[in-house]
Amino acid sequence: MDSQVIHDKHHKKVIDGQALFSANHAEDLGVIDGEQVWIAQAKQGSQSAFYRLYEKHHKPIYALCWRMLADKDSAEDVCQEVFVVLWQKINNFRGESKFSTWLHSVATNVVLGHLRKHKNWLQRVFSIEEPGTNFVEPSVSLTDDSTLMLLDQHIARLPERARLVFVLFAVEGYRHEEIANMLNMAVGSSKSQYHRARNLLQASLKELEFSSGEQEMNHD
Amino acid sequence: MTKHTSQCHLPQDKVLADKALAEQVAKLPDEMTPERDLWPGIERAINAKRQQISADKHRNVFVPSAWAASMAMVMLMSWFTFSPETNEKTVPALVKIPKQASPTSAQLVNFMQQNFIQQKQILLASYGQPMVDRLPAAMQQELTQLAEARASIRKALLGDENNTDLLNLLDFTQQQELKLLQQLYRQYQVI
Repeated sequence: MDSQVIHDKHHKKVIDGQALFSANHAEDLGVIDGEQVWIAQAKQGSQSAFYRLYEKHHKPIYALCWRMLADKDSAEDVCQEVFVVLWQKINNFRGESKFSTWLHSVATNVVLGHLRKHKNWLQRVFSIEEPGTNFVEPSVSLTDDSTLMLLDQHIARLPERARLVFVLFAVEGYRHEEIANMLNMAVGSSKSQYHRARNLLQASLKELEFSSGEQEMNHD
Repeated sequence: MTKHTSQCHLPQDKVLADKALAEQVAKLPDEMTPERDLWPGIERAINAKRQQISADKHRNVFVPSAWAASMAMVMLMSWFTFSPETNEKTVPALVKIPKQASPTSAQLVNFMQQNFIQQKQILLASYGQPMVDRLPAAMQQELTQLAEARASIRKALLGDENNTDLLNLLDFTQQQELKLLQQLYRQYQVI
């Protein structure tokens, strides 16, 4: 990759074809080699090697599931499903991309498959889009979880389509064309859902800023 | 994959809002920790899949064998059912003797065997004691198979004397052998 800067969660910074490792270079290389060995062993059916892959990757995959599904229990179930699917499909990984990137695309497909399966039957029959542009009612399990980032809590309250597009575009780094293909919608719809999500998030963050400012003034 | 959060040509406050959101997105944690341990469930599912695959492999071997056995059975049943000689008229009254009849099953089997040998000798004598080994190989093979079947049924009857079905089958096999011999020697009178 000449003079290209990639900076996302699943790629290390690459400038002029040279990898700039954030951690110790040798250690990092060791990890990469180790991972390749685990992948090769898992392809041969080694469950212990597969466990190592799980150990390394389950937290980012869980984060992806959580953000897309906005439900802790579903996210845990689907995260498990992702790794079961990974066990079955690991032979399809040919090393053409980074393992984590490939795994994220597998996970995205599993999550979307799960959503399709569990889509409300009314929506399925009548193709009803979520009404309005407001936030959906927050789930207790989300708002009570103090460990979550504030933005994550707001993302979880977005309407489903807007949330999926926002997570895939802004967090996972997919292009609108890819998202439109994955979600079976027009590219324009993907863009408008993203804008919808962005406006909702900005409004809620602004509101929060305003209310916290008011609280500070009351203190004074 | 590149993160997309910034936009251009927007009013100043909009740009600032976008920038603020982009900063927030960049701060989002890469990882989250599930509350429960997910591995045991994954391990169970993987092992279940493995067992399923192994069972499928066994089934792949078993199915053709079972299919072949079923086909053989169907063909045998069809032969017994639709062969012109297998209707009620051809089943001799001999084996329909009720159980209270005096001879025991073993005696009956011996009697049937002697009777069959006599009939066969008479038949062969009527055709001038022809040489069996001059018959075509396929015919010889059929005769051999019938003889082997007859021997197997007799052997089975020794272990299960009161089995009427086996008695009927023995009689049927003997009759088939005689008829086949008759047909063959009629066809190959020159032998």
